[in-house]
Amino acid sequence: MSPSRATTPPPVARTALELREAAAEARRRSRPDPDANPLREGLRLERVPDPCAFVLFGATGDLAHRKVIPAIYQLWRTNLLPAEFSLVAVARRPYTDESFAAEIRASLDKYSRVQPIDAAAWSELAKRIVYHQLDFADDSAFDRLASRLGELDSERGTAGNRLFYLATQPSQVTEIVRQMGRVGLDHEVRGGGWRRLVVEKPFGRDFESARHLNHEVNKVFRESQVYRIDHYLGKETVRNLLVFRFGNGIFEPVWNRSFVDHVQITVGESIGVEGRGAFYEETGASRDILQNHLLQLMTLVAMEPPSSFQADALRDQKLAVLRAMCIPTAEEIKHEIVRGQYGPGWVEGEPAPGYRQEPEVDPESETETFVAARFSIDDWRWSGVPFYLRAGKRLPKRATEIAIQFKDVPLRLFRDSAGDPAPNVLALRIQPDEGIMLRFAAKVPGLGLDVRTVNMDFAYDTSFVVDSPDAYETLILDALLGDASLFTRADEVEAAWAVVTPIIHGWAEMPAPHFPNYAAGSWGPEAADQLIERDGRRWRRI
Amino acid sequence: MAKDLTGPRPVAHSITEVENQLGHLWARAAVVRAEAAEAQARLVAAQAEAAARAASALAASQATSDSGGHHVAARTSVLNLVVMAGEEKTAAACARIIAATAGRHASRSIVLTEVDPEGPAGLDARIEGLALTASAGRAETGAEMIYVAARGETGSHLASIIVPLLVHDLPVALWWPADPPFETHRAERLLPIADRLIVDGSAWSGCGLNVLAQLAAVAEQRSLVVMDWALLRQARWREALASVYDAPDLRPHLRAVRRIEVAYAAARPGDPDGETNIVRPLYHVAWLASRLDMSVVSTLQRQDDGRRVATLRQAGHEVEVVLVPAESELADGSTVQVRIASRLRGAELVGSVEAGDLTVDVTILDNGRERVRRSYAAPRLNEGDLLGRAVEEGAADPVAVRALSTAGRLLGVESGSHRQAIGC
Repeated sequence: MSPSRATTPPPVARTALELREAAAEARRRSRPDPDANPLREGLRLERVPDPCAFVLFGATGDLAHRKVIPAIYQLWRTNLLPAEFSLVAVARRPYTDESFAAEIRASLDKYSRVQPIDAAAWSELAKRIVYHQLDFADDSAFDRLASRLGELDSERGTAGNRLFYLATQPSQVTEIVRQMGRVGLDHEVRGGGWRRLVVEKPFGRDFESARHLNHEVNKVFRESQVYRIDHYLGKETVRNLLVFRFGNGIFEPVWNRSFVDHVQITVGESIGVEGRGAFYEETGASRDILQNHLLQLMTLVAMEPPSSFQADALRDQKLAVLRAMCIPTAEEIKHEIVRGQYGPGWVEGEPAPGYRQEPEVDPESETETFVAARFSIDDWRWSGVPFYLRAGKRLPKRATEIAIQFKDVPLRLFRDSAGDPAPNVLALRIQPDEGIMLRFAAKVPGLGLDVRTVNMDFAYDTSFVVDSPDAYETLILDALLGDASLFTRADEVEAAWAVVTPIIHGWAEMPAPHFPNYAAGSWGPEAADQLIERDGRRWRRI
Repeated sequence: MAKDLTGPRPVAHSITEVENQLGHLWARAAVVRAEAAEAQARLVAAQAEAAARAASALAASQATSDSGGHHVAARTSVLNLVVMAGEEKTAAACARIIAATAGRHASRSIVLTEVDPEGPAGLDARIEGLALTASAGRAETGAEMIYVAARGETGSHLASIIVPLLVHDLPVALWWPADPPFETHRAERLLPIADRLIVDGSAWSGCGLNVLAQLAAVAEQRSLVVMDWALLRQARWREALASVYDAPDLRPHLRAVRRIEVAYAAARPGDPDGETNIVRPLYHVAWLASRLDMSVVSTLQRQDDGRRVATLRQAGHEVEVVLVPAESELADGSTVQVRIASRLRGAELVGSVEAGDLTVDVTILDNGRERVRRSYAAPRLNEGDLLGRAVEEGAADPVAVRALSTAGRLLGVESGSHRQAIGC
């Protein structure tokens, strides 16, 4: 791809003052905070957030019931929430505190990852649930919410600390934020508590809408108050990727263009749209997976080591990767980005309908359910190393994997071997069967000198026989503790859209492929295979 | 969840026999695994009625097999846990704790007891294999428990039994449930084997201070990660104490501490014999002193009224330390209250953390006025939780290292040497 750049270049210091400020900022980020509480140092798992009110907008919705509230229950059950905690559920439907608590109790039976529900823990949490009926467009309802939260501070000791969690439709975000700004819910008062805003993805539909959304949110909340949640980043194995890269010394020396031939990242789903046809018609694989999950995984693989594990140090490095990515031209979009849509087929031994036969889907739909792309990163570490990314629905299996394929040996010494050893591969399995596999050549036992490829396989399951926390538990606790490392910053979101938006716009201007172009249960359209085979490589058989 | 795979328990009388039986155990597991795979293949074949369906099932089956699949019966690779149980009763209790937390612990646990010290030398060993799964549908893995009873003189040479039974190249955790006999030949031989040492200071006999001083000396002399359950138990107390100074305007008081007072539960008023174990109360002081850069001016001394006092120095002023026995329904040696008093430019601040019913309660008095009151849930950690935490920690916790070192200094341990027994 041509080396054109993302449209939001990093700010460059141009004056001596700016240079000094940038240097001071870098030093500030890399050293411990002198004002930090020394008694907090080293307190790890036992850290409990400040007293606070967790204000959940969209509390009657699917996301709240399936993910957010079970995560809060689990944190409460494991004593990771403060005693002075209130869950303020906000939604349009009429409930009392008690009737809403009863509904939550029923959904915990369905969605809590730990069963049965701990009666004593639930009883204590239920006392802390407050329901507030609110129409998002009603000014007076927000006024009442503000005073209700003030009352809770004195009744429940929540100390003015508030986390606003928007589990609502994306279209409602700007209105809710505007209303919060109008009644001053964003105001942090010295000694009077913090205010944080958690926003769920999608963060816009393209570069312009993302920039607009960020602008609207930042009109009310400072960027440091905003936590954009992409649950993928809270997954245990994604976090393990950081540990693997920066907690081990032996891989970093070979983690570059001198040793790596190419990188493959696959996010495969065996399921279809699962009753969310209308939603998927509006998004497609590029918005649903490529812009966020795939590019996030790619940044974690490609980023430079951060100077610390502080949120901004980490996010600066991820941003640098996105900004070094080459933006595809129209010609490259045609040849190096492949879109697909599944037709009928068989998945895991069961017949599966085609995408156009799914409920709420246009029978003539041109929405892509598969995307494959060849990207490059124009920096010293990765120049010339292709990153092949693919994601799709109704693939043969659910599998997310990052594979680093290393360059072949410079000279094949074992020419007489019956087998031809394949190049080394380091595969990081994100899900399922989380683990790490290293492929290398070994001698076949016997009198000859036959060489075969073998796998050295590490599975998390067999070393850590414990259930990992759900991503929402991790992320909600981090937000309550004020740790933004695993949340996406505004400039990061915009930089990712700067890569993906030209693709979406380019597709809109060119005729769609003849959809459907892959059968459910296959690994995507033939064009995806051709994309990588043109370079003399193959997709890994996962 | 842990399931005993072993069936009838074979008994071994030598290291070679133990190794043979371990080999048989995993060979049996491999057979079970192969049989399961065959059964699965037959099932797939039978279900594949249509050609397309069969092809798809085969592909799925092949894919699962390629990625490692389920029904793995491989030993986990975490660590070796060696338990110096001493007597049978302790061994049984330790085994129960290990089994209850099997999913979080070692590949191989070796539980050692000594019987008939005057009798003929020898050993009796038996092996249990545990199949572990975190939840339904997840991979199954295995762990081993080896029980060794050393008879006669063999009990004096436990290192010679332990070393050949360790899983190669895995860390070794040495768990000493009772008073570890530091400064003995046995400890001298066993400690070099271990990468980490697990003890429970709150269970030591008497006031526990002599063993604590020895532990502090050992920790300074050796490259050994020490996990003391007495310190692990105080995690929520530390969280609560730290919270006293979270408000930025109160933080400067951390440099102006004048008095640290810890009240602990004693069996009798004033603890007249000084026999209540006070390892936990002392750890509070040691942790605070180490975090707040305090040095020891005078070591801990017992007073006639049963209190123990010491003096620390912080940034040019002295800090009075007092451990006070108190009447309480809590178990002897439990912390009842920690009070930190500071004075800064005429302003007095008292942060107090008190044990409640399954909570620790924080109160902050700012010039005599109550400024903050909050509670932290602090359920008592059971032994399974403590063992799990102790073996899961991969490296020394620098906070714990400094706390133990400061505890040693409060007890007169200097430069890694402990020469004088500390009376209770």
